[in-house]
Amino acid sequence: MKRETKEYHYDWNLWTILENAAKTYDGSKKEYEALLPYVYHYKDVLDTFVRQGEPGVLFLKLLAKYMKDCVTARERGKKVSMNTFCLAIPILYAFDVQPLALEVWSVLGTIVLKRGTAEFLDFCCELGFTETSCSAQRGALGAYLSGLGVKPDFIVCDSPGVCDTNANSFAFAAAYLDLPFYQLNYPSTLTEERTERYHRKDYRELIKFLEEQTGRKLDEDKLKEIIRETRIQDELAAEIFEMLRLKPSPVPPVYDLLLYGGKFMMGGLPQYTELLQSMVKKAKDNMQKVIAGTKSGMEKARGMFCYIDHYTTNARMWDFLESRDISHLGSLLFCFWQQEMPYAKGREDEGYSIDDSSVDAMIDSLAAMNSRMPMVKQIRGPYDAPNMWRDVLVCANLMKPDFVVYMGTIGCRNTWGMVKLLVRDLEKAGYPTIVLYGDGFDDRVQSWESIIDKIEEFTHLRGILK
Amino acid sequence: MMNEWKEIANTMENTYLRKWKESGRAAVGYPCTYVPDEVIYAADILPYRLRGTGTTSSSIGDTYFGPVICSFPKCVLQLAGEGRFNFLDGTIIVPGCDSMRRLDECWRKAADDYKGILPGFFHYFGVPHKVTDYSLMWFYEETLKLKEKLEKHFGVTITDKALKVAISVYNESRKLLMQLDKLRVKDKPVINGEDALSIILASTAIPRDEFNKMLRKTLSQLEIKKETIKGKKRLMLVGSINDDPEFMKVIEDCGAVIVTDTMCFGSRSYSDLTEEEGDPLFALAKRYLNHAYCPRMFGYYKPRLKNIMDRAKKAKVDGIILQNIRFCDLHGSENGIFERDLEKEGIPCMRMEREYGPLTESGRVKMRIDAFLERIS
Repeated sequence: MKRETKEYHYDWNLWTILENAAKTYDGSKKEYEALLPYVYHYKDVLDTFVRQGEPGVLFLKLLAKYMKDCVTARERGKKVSMNTFCLAIPILYAFDVQPLALEVWSVLGTIVLKRGTAEFLDFCCELGFTETSCSAQRGALGAYLSGLGVKPDFIVCDSPGVCDTNANSFAFAAAYLDLPFYQLNYPSTLTEERTERYHRKDYRELIKFLEEQTGRKLDEDKLKEIIRETRIQDELAAEIFEMLRLKPSPVPPVYDLLLYGGKFMMGGLPQYTELLQSMVKKAKDNMQKVIAGTKSGMEKARGMFCYIDHYTTNARMWDFLESRDISHLGSLLFCFWQQEMPYAKGREDEGYSIDDSSVDAMIDSLAAMNSRMPMVKQIRGPYDAPNMWRDVLVCANLMKPDFVVYMGTIGCRNTWGMVKLLVRDLEKAGYPTIVLYGDGFDDRVQSWESIIDKIEEFTHLRGILK
Repeated sequence: MMNEWKEIANTMENTYLRKWKESGRAAVGYPCTYVPDEVIYAADILPYRLRGTGTTSSSIGDTYFGPVICSFPKCVLQLAGEGRFNFLDGTIIVPGCDSMRRLDECWRKAADDYKGILPGFFHYFGVPHKVTDYSLMWFYEETLKLKEKLEKHFGVTITDKALKVAISVYNESRKLLMQLDKLRVKDKPVINGEDALSIILASTAIPRDEFNKMLRKTLSQLEIKKETIKGKKRLMLVGSINDDPEFMKVIEDCGAVIVTDTMCFGSRSYSDLTEEEGDPLFALAKRYLNHAYCPRMFGYYKPRLKNIMDRAKKAKVDGIILQNIRFCDLHGSENGIFERDLEKEGIPCMRMEREYGPLTESGRVKMRIDAFLERIS
């Protein structure tokens, strides 16, 4: 690892950059524009969010707060949980524990830093972690394993039974750092009575684990407050989803990142509600004007990402979509399976609802919510049995995309195991589908420029964009 | 006798299997040590562990699986696509790891294109990734479901009595394989790793009672064998699946003898016995969920490290080979920490990534082993 990389803690460094970024728009527009030349390396990523107006600025502020909360958690006497993005974090906040989602920190490093997280990705390999492991965790994990970040107190993951490479990253971190480890483990089925029983028991064991680690009991009032906030957030997310279905979609492409990114960092907290409210307001404005959420207000094509997005430097993926007038109809990370969502219609048993009538009801709601998180729901079991396939198909039927994109990471064993089948089935259903052989978190696998080439060639050849 | 073991180990359809089929009885494939094969055996069906032996191409495997997937399930699918598992009347798929669990849909979808390759009985057997009272209950229910589905599909009844007999036969197998272990770890071993693996492989491909008979005979021959293995470095093999005695031969031909292992085609398959008292199905669930952990069981690094240390000490090894098949992140990553912790304890280790299937890289493997043996000389 380069000496200058070790100069500052990875998380502290990113936090200070984004803390400052979040303040840039506090003054006037003229002041902001005058500032941009002075932050040459960060001006593009900054502008990706700031040009979205209030929602973009609120997202930057949410980012800055989350990062500060992570970096300063220990000095504020809080426990830090290293966890995966698809863990429903309200339970951690209810225990006053600071969630530190590795994938969130990997995304931030990839988007913000000029060299991405390359050195940390490689550092993991020096420690023995395989180079074929998932980059979504490995990017930030390298920093935490090298001591260039806040030290977590324990590790919680919920990907066993869902995604091996994800779960393996956390198991590796626990073994390497000798930290307490808890896994929520998911059976291959979702709606069987015995599966629900299993989810609930497993979730109660998580609560016991958190009680042991924090030395405190679950705070019922705090949980209720967070759960109620989550319900409001679910309703707002449903509104955004509904607007995405419109033609043209009034929802700006980057809202996809704002929606799931905000939830993974601050789900259940008021900052996320404020962000969602602002997003809904802006999208409604566009809807009333009958314009798309793209830069020009036009929609030339509708793209749906059936897995994840690409987090290349400066968030260029969303910039590319906006500038080509392509609406981003959401990715798998967008689907949390609240019962009121359109995709849950007729399949209500596959969704969750929030019941705050008692502690037990709240815990059961959280167990249900967690077992339906993006990836946790879809990728368990065989892809057509039926979660992944049916979820993608139902979303495609609702969204009516012109094309579907599979973008993942090279470490994603379980989706690479079935993606050829998924593509074949989507094409049969009438949806042109492209598989991108890049890595959403590591530009060295395939450059963003070459990915653009492939998307453009594909959309041209299939007559989607002329 | 060794030639017979080798023949069974190196062929897909051995003579015992052929005889079994000729007698009108069924055979069911299974991919992993987490399947309680006693349940199949108790139905008078031959449990046959799936392997990718003898593949010469991965064209079919690559058509359905994506590009960054372990070559083991690809080789299994290749053989299935070529119709070389057509002797199977059923197959059980296990979420042993992500690559292996995708064998389920890849095999099914391949059957749309390659007619007749999907056995009539095709069952997904869910195995939890942790050991708790409720995961044991889940696993018990899965085992019960497997039993009921076998009964329904094959029109048989699996009685408790038959299960108890199966448990007893399999326990005997395990005890015999433990005796074989003792002969391997002697100061002057009487059997090398290549031959020991051939015997272990046979345990998964022929009827267990026949296997026990054969192994008893082999053990009695080995116990009086005068010729011993001397002057070789004593190695232990750890990591991803290996069902290729030739791979062991490449290592041993460099001047080593593999005296012990923690492999799934190895000690992990026989080092734990099933309780013979009480409800036999529950006893099986308990044994299989708790048996020596594969890294697919997340969060059990310390017991796995202890298992390696105990076996290494008992076998007085000079070094450990920590190998993994490419894209097997579970073994590959854990090997990285094993190396750190075992070297700290003074046990020399080498890590090696390899491909499953035909030994196209034996030159590279040989060079790495030579260098390792030089290091520990």
